Amino acid sequence: MKKHARISIFMRKHRIWILIIMTVIATFYFFPILWMFITSIRPTEDIYKFPPTIIPGALTLDNYIYVITKMRGFGRYFLNSVVVTSSTVLIVVVSSAMGGYAFGMRRFKGQNLLFMAIISVLTIPYIMYLIPIYIMEDKLGLRNTWWGLILPYVALNLPWGLLIMRGAFSTIPLDIRDAAVIDGCGEFQMWFKVLLPIVKPAIAATTIITFVFAWQEYLFASTLMTRNEWQTLPVGVVWIRDELQTLVYGRIGAMVILSIIPVFILFVVFRRFFIEGLREGMIK
Amino acid sequence: MKESKITLFIFLAPTLFFVLVFIAYPIVYSAYLSLSEFNYASDPSPRFIGFKGYIDTILHDSMFHTALINQFKFAIPYFIITFLGSLILAILINELKHGASLFQVIFYLPMIIPLSLVGITFAWLLFPDVGIFNHILRRLGVENWNIDWYGDPKTALNSLVVARSWKMIGFTLIILLSGLQGLPKDIREAAKVDGANFFQEIWHIVLPNLKPYLYISGIWILINAMKTFELIAVVTQGGPGMATLTLYYYSWKLAFERLDMGRASQVAYITAGLIILLSWGLNRLFKTEIASRA
Repeated sequence: MKKHARISIFMRKHRIWILIIMTVIATFYFFPILWMFITSIRPTEDIYKFPPTIIPGALTLDNYIYVITKMRGFGRYFLNSVVVTSSTVLIVVVSSAMGGYAFGMRRFKGQNLLFMAIISVLTIPYIMYLIPIYIMEDKLGLRNTWWGLILPYVALNLPWGLLIMRGAFSTIPLDIRDAAVIDGCGEFQMWFKVLLPIVKPAIAATTIITFVFAWQEYLFASTLMTRNEWQTLPVGVVWIRDELQTLVYGRIGAMVILSIIPVFILFVVFRRFFIEGLREGMIK
Repeated sequence: MKESKITLFIFLAPTLFFVLVFIAYPIVYSAYLSLSEFNYASDPSPRFIGFKGYIDTILHDSMFHTALINQFKFAIPYFIITFLGSLILAILINELKHGASLFQVIFYLPMIIPLSLVGITFAWLLFPDVGIFNHILRRLGVENWNIDWYGDPKTALNSLVVARSWKMIGFTLIILLSGLQGLPKDIREAAKVDGANFFQEIWHIVLPNLKPYLYISGIWILINAMKTFELIAVVTQGGPGMATLTLYYYSWKLAFERLDMGRASQVAYITAGLIILLSWGLNRLFKTEIASRA
């Protein structure tokens, strides 16, 4: 009894210390994002005052208003990001729900070998795909089009989706499938009406993970899209920074914050699915 | 239930299409390119030269040597910081009764921020003169402390490491936390009853049992350490001089600035080979440790 009491006092004490240490670390960790946000709501004179001040003296939304109303390039990048990302998500979800069913519930020759081959895609340096895809898209005239990004993005994100979907389908008892078939469902009807509602959490996980990855892709976008009107946000914001050269970090900050907002909202809403999906994918 | 081959094929068709056209074909084609001489601007088609290109790159390309050395100068501190950082955070978060999920959100947040924008953010934090980090350093120490972190060849690569780790730690934190939460409670209780202090408990009880998760985290960090592109493209462009020229970025430069697709593919394949080799090494390391304990 005595011993246990001592342990719990020790535990309680060190919990408080851990809480304090964690709060300090987390504050530092959060600081880069916070600082970008603070920069974006300050007037320019304030940002470049020397020595710098941490607590903002004056607040303004000018940077945001300027970026949204005056910078037409930014609006176009935003549109491209939305179109490319949501198309990618849609195709990945449908393809991986179909493939996940085939890998998770059907049996065929070479099944595991094919699956492992597809998964190993994740470890290979993407530049090995990029060079041939660049030559191919150049010849087919796909560069500087939305499809030129959507197609490779689907291919690169499909393995994650398959991993998650196969996991979900393989936990469904085969009885459910057979019962539906006895009721007179065809295989597609059964897949669509009976199985898809069961794997809803996996669909959510695939959606959010694909969205996050496609939204931040830089390598393919910067290489395949060379014209302003087709560029996406992660590259577009960098182009704007290069054009403006110096001393406009207020506007750059506003662009960074605006670029993160859509994905941030999704992250907050679907956080559980995002973490679960990543865990599933990374540990397997 | 009657399983027809036709429906199976239809269910697999989208996957097969994307994998064959955008994954399998590119891997085979870039393997062929790596055995060829091909300048995309001037040559009509690749000319097969066998392993000559590889030998030339490995023995005579001094930029390749620089990139290889830089790659390790980046990968080693990156591996250590990300691995230890996420391990320490995971252990601490796992001890908390309250607020654990709030802390997790903060550490997971960088995962959703595009790496190029992480680069812009850190370039601003570490700006000379008006940058906040230099300002804080000045307040804490030397009066005229004013380092151009990304402009000085001595600090540029390590400053990239910090930004890259900041984004990566969330991923490995997920792996390690799920490992910690899966540990049976009673083995830790037993250690406490035996009078082990917190650090002894972590070292003798928690870490050995966490081994599979440490290995998985290690593999992911390793793969990431070799795939470094965005930050360098956005923040330093390989400079100052060649201080931050890494294998991945060098391969990209060869392909899309010099349009030398042959050599670019060689560097890409060598990078992939290094990833496989190092993963194998890591596997052996964890295997022998487990064996020696048994």
